[in-house]
Amino acid sequence: MAGGPKLVGLRLHHLRKVLPFFFLVGCLFLVRWSKGAFFVDTYALITRPFWPGSSQREWLQYGDLVESQVMVDLLQADNNRLRRMLAIKSSSTPDLVSVPVIARKSNGWWQQLELGKGSVAGIQIGAAVMGPGGLLGIVESVTPSTARVRLLTAPGSRVGVWVNRAKHHGILLGIGTNRPQLTFLDKDPKVIAGDVVSTSPASTILPPNLPVGVIQSLDKKALPAPIASVQLLSAPEAIDWVQVQKR
Amino acid sequence: MGTSSKALTVRYTKSAVIASAILVPCLALINPRLLAINGVGPSWVVLWLLPWSLAGGPLLGSFAGLCLGLLLDSISLYGATQIPALIVLGFWWGRLGKVSSATHNNLSLGLLAYMGSFCVGISLWLQFYLRHLQISFEIFHSWSFQTILSQSLITGLLSPIISFWLLLYFKNRRS
Repeated sequence: MAGGPKLVGLRLHHLRKVLPFFFLVGCLFLVRWSKGAFFVDTYALITRPFWPGSSQREWLQYGDLVESQVMVDLLQADNNRLRRMLAIKSSSTPDLVSVPVIARKSNGWWQQLELGKGSVAGIQIGAAVMGPGGLLGIVESVTPSTARVRLLTAPGSRVGVWVNRAKHHGILLGIGTNRPQLTFLDKDPKVIAGDVVSTSPASTILPPNLPVGVIQSLDKKALPAPIASVQLLSAPEAIDWVQVQKR
Repeated sequence: MGTSSKALTVRYTKSAVIASAILVPCLALINPRLLAINGVGPSWVVLWLLPWSLAGGPLLGSFAGLCLGLLLDSISLYGATQIPALIVLGFWWGRLGKVSSATHNNLSLGLLAYMGSFCVGISLWLQFYLRHLQISFEIFHSWSFQTILSQSLITGLLSPIISFWLLLYFKNRRS
């Protein structure tokens, strides 16, 4: 009986020693139970100044862009190889000439561009004129040092186009407004608003598969064939340099 | 000495007239965006032809209309010509200038320029209309009339500034 209180004191002493460990383990169980909420939140708070900034996002975006460009080049090379095998005109564009725009009228009666190179540089009537966004228009007349382009929006402009998703041809007519009119050759073209319009993949006059615009609205009741309004991808009022196909 | 000075002055005024006339197609090509309504600039040829015809008479007016029409057609796309409208306007304004000098104030100049630009626009619209019958008329008309009204308005507004000074110059030259 004499050793009783002494033994209890010893046990309490040991318990006091191990209690912090129990407390720690308990806390860790709490952290585990909360999926590390407190721990991760504290970590986030402390490391916030070192988080990746906007510059790192731009590096990643730049890397993504370069990757896309490389992919496009590879796919284009592959596409050209297949086209050669099928004896279809190549969509590669080694015979393009870069030309400055020296005068422009994108609104009004005549919607045209005057280019700073002409027949001396190899530009001929009927050549396709391209800019960022795709096809801009067709060369209508040339002088030795200039060329005049009829924009796709100009009245009288007629270009054969292709809706890839529905696999249907149509004629893109310039009507003076910013959105040319696409007249389909088929009575039921099965196109919807949002379809991309491009030059025909089998075109021999224009470069094949060149983006032109996006269908904005469709009038299926129009006679003799449905018509659509097309929003062009290129912006002739803001382009200072264009690419012209040499023939 | 006096004769040679007079010859120099005549040569200078002739050069100035030719230079101002050549400026018309240049301005049509440059198409300054600041002077435009809905992206449509003024009819520079109307701004020049109006004072020239008022000061020179119907014959000179028609001739200038023909010459400028040829120049402007040479820098535009195929499809429509401005020549008939400009010849008629040159003749009409030339007769007005001969008959009365009441047209030589700012308000009349503005109104005449507005009407002239409107007539040129209507003649172009008729030609486009007849050439492109396959185009959806509703859309085509709205675009045409927007162009006509925008061009007439900006031409009429600029006329008291540009045509007025040109008219003074042409009248002084003739006198």
